[in-house]
Amino acid sequence: MVGIKLNKIFFHRLFNNLVEFFRSDASRFLFPALFLVLVFYIIPVIISVYLSFTPLKNWNIDRYAGEIIGFENYYKFFYMLTHDPSVKAVFLTTIVFVALTLTVNVLGGLGLAIATYFMSEKAAGGTQLIWLLPRMTPIAVYSMIWYYFFHPSSIGTLNSILLHLGLIDKPIDFGQGIIPWGAWAIIVFVNGLVGVSYGMIVFTSAISNIPKELVIAARVDGASNWEITRRILIPLLKWHIIYVTTWQLLSLITTYDHLFLLVKWGLVNRDYGTTWSLYIYNTAFQLGETDQGLAAAAGVILVLVSSGLGLLTLKLMGFEKMIKPPRGDI
Amino acid sequence: MVVVRLDRVTKIFKGGVVGVKDISLTIKHGEFMALLGPSGSGKSTTLYLIAGIYKPTSGRIYFDDRDVTNLPPKDRNVGLVFQNWALYPHMKVYENIAFPLRLKKLPEEEIKRRVLDVARMLQIDKLLDRYPWQLSGGQQQRVAIARALVKEPDVLLLDEPLSNLDAILRISVRAELKRLQKKLGITTIYVTHDQAEALAMADRIALINEGRIVQVGTPEEVYNRPATVFVGGFLGNPPMNFLEAEVEDLDKEIFLVIGKYRIRAPERYWSIIRRLKTKRVIIGFRPEDTSIKPESLDTICLPGRVYGIEPLGRENIVVIEIGGELVKIISGRRISLTLDQMVWICPVMEKIILFDPATGKALDRLVVEEKIRAI
Amino acid sequence: MPGMRDVEIRSRSTELLIMCIVFMLSLPVITGYALIILSSFSRDMVTNLDPSAFKPTLTNWILLFHGRTALFAGIRVNIWGIVFNTLIVALGISLLVTITGALTGYAISRMNFHGRKHIMALLILLHAFPGSVLVVGVAFIYRLFMPSYTYVVYYSFFFVILARAAIEIPMATWLMKGFFDMIPWEIEWSAIVDGASRIRVWWKILLPLIKPGLAAVMLFGFLAGWMDLIYVRTFLAEPTLAVFIEYNVHAEYAYLPLVAAAGTLYLLPTILFFLFAQKLIFTISVSGIKG
Repeated sequence: MVGIKLNKIFFHRLFNNLVEFFRSDASRFLFPALFLVLVFYIIPVIISVYLSFTPLKNWNIDRYAGEIIGFENYYKFFYMLTHDPSVKAVFLTTIVFVALTLTVNVLGGLGLAIATYFMSEKAAGGTQLIWLLPRMTPIAVYSMIWYYFFHPSSIGTLNSILLHLGLIDKPIDFGQGIIPWGAWAIIVFVNGLVGVSYGMIVFTSAISNIPKELVIAARVDGASNWEITRRILIPLLKWHIIYVTTWQLLSLITTYDHLFLLVKWGLVNRDYGTTWSLYIYNTAFQLGETDQGLAAAAGVILVLVSSGLGLLTLKLMGFEKMIKPPRGDI
Repeated sequence: MVVVRLDRVTKIFKGGVVGVKDISLTIKHGEFMALLGPSGSGKSTTLYLIAGIYKPTSGRIYFDDRDVTNLPPKDRNVGLVFQNWALYPHMKVYENIAFPLRLKKLPEEEIKRRVLDVARMLQIDKLLDRYPWQLSGGQQQRVAIARALVKEPDVLLLDEPLSNLDAILRISVRAELKRLQKKLGITTIYVTHDQAEALAMADRIALINEGRIVQVGTPEEVYNRPATVFVGGFLGNPPMNFLEAEVEDLDKEIFLVIGKYRIRAPERYWSIIRRLKTKRVIIGFRPEDTSIKPESLDTICLPGRVYGIEPLGRENIVVIEIGGELVKIISGRRISLTLDQMVWICPVMEKIILFDPATGKALDRLVVEEKIRAI
Repeated sequence: MPGMRDVEIRSRSTELLIMCIVFMLSLPVITGYALIILSSFSRDMVTNLDPSAFKPTLTNWILLFHGRTALFAGIRVNIWGIVFNTLIVALGISLLVTITGALTGYAISRMNFHGRKHIMALLILLHAFPGSVLVVGVAFIYRLFMPSYTYVVYYSFFFVILARAAIEIPMATWLMKGFFDMIPWEIEWSAIVDGASRIRVWWKILLPLIKPGLAAVMLFGFLAGWMDLIYVRTFLAEPTLAVFIEYNVHAEYAYLPLVAAAGTLYLLPTILFFLFAQKLIFTISVSGIKG
């Protein structure tokens, strides 16, 4: 009884709020965005969750989409996680990839931001542009660049350098031959370069907001670059470091487009070059027999992980402060 | 403790903005020198040149006989206090003060002893365990000074350290800071745009305007004998009054003509006016060296109309219109004037200063300059 | 101390050292990009750093510009058709993202409405949502509304533009909100007091004031659409440059320097933006893109 009554109150309030919203001026401004977000974001998510309970295969919607098989896809995924070496490898790769790339991203971004701080403005601007390049490059071109850089034959830049230096006598297949660390090194490198710029930009703008008198006062007192970095810049960037870490963690868990071509072109090993996110995409679209039900189940689990981290990020971003209401009553 | 000497120092910033131009100044051993000027005049630039934050475009800077022009700030042993105090927000007061000593890698007990000494001297020894944001403005300012003093600098450089304090606190800190400086006997350079602060604290004041030094002297000198219209107009509250006048030389006497009225020029200026063949002058007289009389008793009085009265409690400022110009006169506490009443204002003859309208310089200065040129 | 970051008198040697280290670290990136661009002007790929492999020629570019010699999955296709497809997608997304971003950014910056807080939280959470999970559901919708064969191409363009733009809405909204936040309230209040409606204020007064913001969002949307791989390869019935490269890089029949030329062509907008719109690049980077 109480439950029903509470429900009634809840829906009543929700309904009232919705009516209020649609009456407001704001709804007219928000309508196009909300429509797109609803159709191409929220409904697909609901569909994905639904599909995880169906045996949908090979996109045979007519035949499979109406059938509910309960948690069977989830059991299957957990069974594969414990028994299938490929899926095990994907799981391990995800953890290693996220941990290492995150470290590269945060430390690299911090290092670049601080290094550019101590450079002349021109050099700093140039450095920042170079390191922004990977993020702004079409994914296919970016993947192509590294495909040739790490190419397993002597046409590969890295191989030819090592050959010229006489360190090796025949080309090494880094991504397929040295398993798992060769493949891991490549995907961490390729994705790390994309991610570094985010930290660099956030830290650079944070440093520029530090009153310059703090640094100059320390200089007058005799501080070197290193001491300014260690005793002033890094302590003052503490919150930004935490924020970038969580935000990048989230991004890395969900990213897959920069890895897709490296795996498809065979530059890196299929199992040890695939992260969870890419595994979902490949299971749904790429492998010989695509299994959307299984992909959706693996996806729902990933969603649970990432939305938990997403909420944490909101907290760390100081979300409450950010949404302080606009001024005035209009 | 050192003598700081700037020798024809010029600083031109990127883009051609002139910071300071051709500044020569000597700050004596143990002296409290105030650099006074409006904002953007180049006084802070001068301070940062002395600190080594800026590199001069030309000219040399000496500490005693040591040329420090190209020495980085850390090797100059100066203590610097910024306008916003630049306390490190992530360090407690103790760590803030200890920071310069830690950079020198002094032993821990020595650091502790010196921090406690300086903290006791500035009466902040009870605050050592707090963060800067937990302190009041006055306390933060003391911490900043403590941090500058703890390394026992040769020169103490203060960049408007009181401007972030409220008016009442500022006046009380003023006396304290001066006392501290005298006790330590440390050569101090103090940048301010507040003329009252400079007059109250400094041994000598260097007035800076548009990147150049206009006048250097004791507070008494610069107040009573301003070298230019700028100095007279910058010092004092309200500042010096100025009236333009024509010179009328009647051989026996010299008169200054303001509109329809004329007053006798002060006698000490007669020879100067004749020597310089001055045709026009600016008459400068201080509000407090002028009296308001109901009728003219003297040849130095001018008629005017009461334009406004600003009671300040201790005294009244009377604004009087003379031939379209407004002048301010400080009168006693009791006053029986009404708006638009006609009165006579009578500057004290000995305190009048005459300036050259073309250059803005005081006439006696022009004479001195001419003599120097002649040599 | 206008525009000053540090004291002017300090040791240049450490600065040089830092610059050297950063330059060394940047070297792989510079090399990688330079070799692909160089290869597009050579008869053979020069990625092996062998100067003798560099046989300068413009043939690749001439072939590309003639447009009939590019191979796609073994079939000769017109590269300009592919460029055109890419451009349609990028421009469509750019336009859609700019309009919706300017509307939503304004509402969130300036209006107090029921659910404002929830919408803002939603925007951030959406940004953190795994794209691969999303794309499964989007594909389901795609197949659900699939029209008859004759219209599939138009449908697929329309669908890709809408679906891909939806992904960029959170970022575009944040970006625009930042620009709207910078405009003083009084400007808007005075217009409202004079009797203008909110839509009118938005269109007549605020949009002209945030032209740099609109430019930033346009560029941001364009790059997002231009560089996209997953959505175009999954949904679009026609190939784009991304798909062209995907199918040609490791194909045995492909003439690789030509692919390098196509890649350089694909890289061209990025390079142009880097040369002429650095400020905008920094602006949109500060707002954070996924990666």
